[in-house]
Amino acid sequence: MKDWLITACGMLSLASALLVVLASSPIYSALGLLFSLFGLSALYLIWGSSFLAVIQILIYAGAIVVLFVFVVMLLDLSNTINVGKGPGWFATLLATSTGWLFSLFLLRALNRGVFAVAPPGKMMGSLRVVSQVLFKEYLWPFEILSVFLLAVIIAAYCLARPENLDAENNRTGGAR
Amino acid sequence: MPTYSASMLSWSHYVAIALFGIGLTGFLLRRNAIVVLMCVELMLNAVNLIFLEVAMRTQSHEGILFVVFVVTVAAAEAAIGLAILLNLYRKQGTLELNLFRMLQG
Repeated sequence: MKDWLITACGMLSLASALLVVLASSPIYSALGLLFSLFGLSALYLIWGSSFLAVIQILIYAGAIVVLFVFVVMLLDLSNTINVGKGPGWFATLLATSTGWLFSLFLLRALNRGVFAVAPPGKMMGSLRVVSQVLFKEYLWPFEILSVFLLAVIIAAYCLARPENLDAENNRTGGAR
Repeated sequence: MPTYSASMLSWSHYVAIALFGIGLTGFLLRRNAIVVLMCVELMLNAVNLIFLEVAMRTQSHEGILFVVFVVTVAAAEAAIGLAILLNLYRKQGTLELNLFRMLQG
């Protein structure tokens, strides 16, 4: 039963990833990304890593995909969809073969890795265990990450604000 | 307590690698900049899956913590990348990557 469930979630994830690549409209790509993330989240949940499953849905599906959808809605992309013809057969062949060749190398590298396999028995990935490790051994990376996020907020504001606020004021008649 | 068979664990390994391949193919193939960023997210997710799998195999918590860090960096990357795309659209009027001819705005 569980094996069947794992297979189904993996297939859902892979099929949705194909939708991301093959869809003609970016909004369908966002939909595919969303379902792919849900499939992965279900995989995490099946393996008992409930914390990661919740993180996956909250941050990826709740924040990142919504951000993508916002941008797709904000920009008028209707004039750029299906503009001209798609990539030629040579580009398609090259990109596909490069992608799968790289994946084969990855597979080879991973299969060479020797993991000290411990017998499964400990509870992994629950919120209690993860937070204990996070706030004891990995406290400094965690704090540095918060400063990093602050920098990202400032950078995103600087990038996304109107280029010249005075010019904007003049154009709108100082209605700001 | 989750019970999983080792074969299923190695099957997820193939799922992760296929996901990475699909993401890389899309990254190289697609011309819409937003879709390219989505493909980067797919690749990051594949790496997350491998991290989790190694954590499960070795029964260590480092893999899970790395996934948390990767998710944070991915959120930051999406925010900054989309802000750059907004600026690009404002200046050039398109997001098709093959239509950009100048580095100078």
